[in-house]
Amino acid sequence: MTVVGASDGVHAADWREAVRAAASVLVGVGAAGPGYPDACVRVVESSGPYIVMAKGLALVHARPEEGGLAVGVGVTRLAAPVDFGHPDNDPVDLLLTFCTPDADSHVAALSTLARQLLAGLADRLRAAPDQDALAAVLRGAVTGDRGRA
Amino acid sequence: MALDRRLDVLAVCGVGMGTSLMLKMTAEDALNSLGVDARVENTDIGSARGMSPDVVIGQGMHTSELEDLAPVVITVSDFLDKEGLVEQLRERLSEKGWLA
Repeated sequence: MTVVGASDGVHAADWREAVRAAASVLVGVGAAGPGYPDACVRVVESSGPYIVMAKGLALVHARPEEGGLAVGVGVTRLAAPVDFGHPDNDPVDLLLTFCTPDADSHVAALSTLARQLLAGLADRLRAAPDQDALAAVLRGAVTGDRGRA
Repeated sequence: MALDRRLDVLAVCGVGMGTSLMLKMTAEDALNSLGVDARVENTDIGSARGMSPDVVIGQGMHTSELEDLAPVVITVSDFLDKEGLVEQLRERLSEKGWLA
């Protein structure tokens, strides 16, 4: 069972605030522990802005031992985009995030998410009118339930 | 010469769990559409250094550190640009004679 959360219209002054806000969605729905958002920031600090995996889209995550309690997936839409310092994909307006309790539990949900992204999920998320719709679109995408998207 | 075995492809990222898994899915789709028999794995850049795949795929900030790891190293910025990856794979695998 994948836990899903969303936040919309988030104000972030820079990429660190954006990453923390995105990961905090997972804390809020109980899928990640309180240390997870800062761990996600450290991933970018140590490995670079590679989590910006497509134009305007970041995949925020850290290792399971940083506070993954369940398989959780979240989406955060910023009020105004921020730069991550990525050579091609800045600025970022949409952040997906996930957490997992171990190295394998997330693979099925994330593979489904990848297929949905290849099929235009990011555009469907950007077209969602509000936070509830964001959550519904994401939930439909990762569970296979088409929902009200 | 044509490859007489399954192509061994490695998708890399910093943590090796999320972003590289996304890239793996795109790469599998791209290789499928080229009709290439391939096994795609994903891992972090540190673990990648101990491997010897035929093809490495990742963002420039990672592939620049892995240029000697594989005969073919492909840099991708947009992990959702499947067509772009298909074109890169078509060109680079053809150079090696690995496309049927």
